[in-house]
Amino acid sequence: MARKILLVDDEAGFTQLLKMNLEKSGDFEVTIENDSTRAVSTARSFLPDIVLLDVVMPGMDGGDVQAQFQSSPELRNVPVIMLTALVDSAELSDGAVAQSGSSIVLPKPVDLDLLLRVIDEATAVI
Amino acid sequence: MEPLTLVESVLDNLPVAVFAKDANDDFRFVLWNKKQEEITTVKASRALGRDDYALFSEESADYFRSVDKAVLKAGRLLKVPEEIIEGKNGQDIHLRTVKIPVIEEETGRRLVVGISEDITEQVRSRAQLESLNKNLVDANKELQETQLQLIQAEKLESIGRLAAGVAHEVKNPLALLLLGVDYLSNGIDPDDPNVDTILAQMRSAVDRADRIVRGLVDFSSQRSLSREPVQLYTVIDEVLLLVKHELTRSNTSVEVSIPRDLPHVFLDLSKFEQVVINLVINAVHAMSESERPCLEIRARSESLRDVVKNQGARRYEVFRSGDHVVILELVDNGCGIDNNDATRLFDPFFTTKATGVGTGLGLSVARKIVQLHGGELHVGDREDAKGAIAKLILPTKVDTGKVGLSSKTAK
Repeated sequence: MARKILLVDDEAGFTQLLKMNLEKSGDFEVTIENDSTRAVSTARSFLPDIVLLDVVMPGMDGGDVQAQFQSSPELRNVPVIMLTALVDSAELSDGAVAQSGSSIVLPKPVDLDLLLRVIDEATAVI
Repeated sequence: MEPLTLVESVLDNLPVAVFAKDANDDFRFVLWNKKQEEITTVKASRALGRDDYALFSEESADYFRSVDKAVLKAGRLLKVPEEIIEGKNGQDIHLRTVKIPVIEEETGRRLVVGISEDITEQVRSRAQLESLNKNLVDANKELQETQLQLIQAEKLESIGRLAAGVAHEVKNPLALLLLGVDYLSNGIDPDDPNVDTILAQMRSAVDRADRIVRGLVDFSSQRSLSREPVQLYTVIDEVLLLVKHELTRSNTSVEVSIPRDLPHVFLDLSKFEQVVINLVINAVHAMSESERPCLEIRARSESLRDVVKNQGARRYEVFRSGDHVVILELVDNGCGIDNNDATRLFDPFFTTKATGVGTGLGLSVARKIVQLHGGELHVGDREDAKGAIAKLILPTKVDTGKVGLSSKTAK
């Protein structure tokens, strides 16, 4: 059965190409949400196996989205991979990423092979 | 009282030197008044009956003689605006002299009559004034240089603060490019409908990264002031690109309403971007506690009315009624301006921000830059709601007279 991935990122071009790559590389069903304020409602209806979440977004940042996932019973256990183009290590350790409690953070530009491995590991645990 | 005595008396009390030489008798002096004695330090008793060669250096005498001959030849008054003779203790004495050819009625003698005014003090004052003026010009030039250096220093600081955000904005298109490369590197299927989309996305990512990097390079370059006619919205577009990361991170929504058909304003793009970036970052900081941070950037053109010069508030101080201007306003819904801070906003090094967040040079430099553009910058609380408003009034014509620097200087 295809694993379901939710991409939450305000960069429409990025999500479009990542979706194409993921769908070409494995048996994935990918849904895109470019508006972070709708991430939780989209996730509730899509029920993803894993979420790839951007950090710096207008509306709600990745940390806020992650916190909403945590407080939602049906999403609490969905693994989240944070993708970030942040370059400042202090921002990574002090900012939304650290607050989110997400254990998996991958830098942008994304190494696709690494991302696929991380998705495999994270979804295998479930 | 004899007429002659009267004439002599008048001559000796004149504040100017008067002398006469007899052209028919080798230009020997026949008249030498008291002031002439005073200026030359030669007594009349010694001068009368002698010529210039007996009284002055050969070089001076040659000169006097040549002028005397020229006066006779011309047959009319000749003005010598400035001549120098050697006075007491070898000091130069500057004279303004007129020489008149006279033919004495009874004797038919041809005389050269000279009237000299001592202008040594005037010349000295003029030289002092010129020297002071040169010092002033030099100091002003130095001040302008220092101002430009200060502006550049503040700009470098802004670049430092923007760098992480700009890098973030460049990394996004890079991430997209890498995804495109990943997709295409596994072999290109000509029937794959995704390929066209991917190539188009990659091209637009390159354009975007290029625009951001170019924006930053343009912003950081240029030390001297160089203005060109621009549409205000293009400046705001560029600025929003550079501060996009700061706005997104702070969750600030931006509403821009700048008509596309505003009159051109004459701006040094890089320096003016510095002003707007400063004001935007200030607004973002001021809105850090706001529930829904919102920055409104609006502009309009207007013909100024009822401008009163030297008013208490000194509004529009460089403008006159009837001047056509473009007004740019940045309106935030932040904490506003504390009454105690209002008068110190533009003081260098004044800051309400925590150490490391700002040096306190931003607004003072911003106002200086706006003034160099012949405009004005005012910052205050908004009247309709909580928050601050920054108002920039910009001339739509270049008037170098109002500006400290020329409109086009070497790049």
